[in-house]
Amino acid sequence: MECDEARPRLEAYLDGELPETERVPLRGHLKDCPDCGPEAAALERLRDEIRRSAPVHRAPEALRSQIRFAIRREAAASTPSASLRASGWLAYAASILLAVAVGSGGTFMLLGEQQTDTMASEIIDSHLRSLLATHLTDVASSDQHTVKPWFGGRTDLSPPAVDLGAEGFPLVGGRLDLIAGKPVPALVYKRRQHVINLFVLPASPADRSADLTRRGYNVRHWDEGDLGFWAVTDAAPTELAEFERLFRAATKG
Amino acid sequence: MAWIAERRRQSRFEAVVLPHLDAGYALARWLTRNDADAADVVQEACLRAFRYFDSYREGDAKSWLLKIVRRTSYDWIERNRPSEVVSLELDGDADSPVHDPPAGAVDADALLESRSDLRRLDILIESLPPPLREAIVLRELQELDYRQIAEVTGVPIGTVMSRLHRARAALRRAWDGKGCG
Repeated sequence: MECDEARPRLEAYLDGELPETERVPLRGHLKDCPDCGPEAAALERLRDEIRRSAPVHRAPEALRSQIRFAIRREAAASTPSASLRASGWLAYAASILLAVAVGSGGTFMLLGEQQTDTMASEIIDSHLRSLLATHLTDVASSDQHTVKPWFGGRTDLSPPAVDLGAEGFPLVGGRLDLIAGKPVPALVYKRRQHVINLFVLPASPADRSADLTRRGYNVRHWDEGDLGFWAVTDAAPTELAEFERLFRAATKG
Repeated sequence: MAWIAERRRQSRFEAVVLPHLDAGYALARWLTRNDADAADVVQEACLRAFRYFDSYREGDAKSWLLKIVRRTSYDWIERNRPSEVVSLELDGDADSPVHDPPAGAVDADALLESRSDLRRLDILIESLPPPLREAIVLRELQELDYRQIAEVTGVPIGTVMSRLHRARAALRRAWDGKGCG
């Protein structure tokens, strides 16, 4: 191969785009030619220098959460809303039920896990938003007789607000949050310096509970009567388990 | 049961498209040259992508997302920085590789020479005209092949090769003249 054939092929060669049949003669030419060889080396140096010195831009974690949130809101909004306000919820619960039911069958485990993951991810996003903004509580009180009535009229659900301060999990208040575009009551507890958000949704008839860790946050899910509970925190999983036990004991009576 | 379908669509979108969020953010960052603007652009692009998700066919999700991010970036610049809008057509673009910058081509060299901090390649790349900048970023930093770059930027492969060549030539001339050829 001669220089006038080699030169126009240099970059395609270095970019890995030259067909095999042309690569071999070009390589031979580069080895011998006092002009083209160094030219190829200079191009390689430039490429290495670009890759070495250019900053690696990564999407910030907050942007990731924002986008997931925006997409879920979009997904919720684009679902034609039925006349019954609850129908969205019903279908939502049904979709989780379906996923869990299929999942427990074993064959399509992945689908079930994916859906639980999606919900857990949503719960964690809401948890993060509540910590970021000055929006941890809409109603700040450790008094269940203040917190519980506050939700009246704001949501169809009546979350059982109980203070567990004596057991080390003081109730600090309540908040109306948004999950999948739907208003959801959230009870806010503390465990020392850690916040525990407890989201209260209509129960999904599947009685599968969940205990997972995602992105450094621990999530527990259980159903009690008509209500489904999702607790999320950065406190230890054992503490969240203890929280579930105490909360269920206190609300059973 | 539209809700379930929508929910599935959302899960699939998150599984297929969101893994390429870093790539999308990087491209937006190189095109807008600003972190906050890149974040705005990527969020808007992801929503667009989600709306058009039905038009996505099994295949190269990364190129598909990058194409939308690129379009959104230029729309965003047009809306928010009208003074910066440049033609995405370069004089001298051709369907076949050009190995000498033709006369009258967008003067990348002049643009580069107007910068005083010419020793840093990332700044040199940011100073390239957008068509050359996006080509070099997609090739060297995102490691896309020619076919993918052509797909993302909507030009023929010959034009991709020509733009890469001109971007490299400009960078080499500006970058302390190492191995000028």
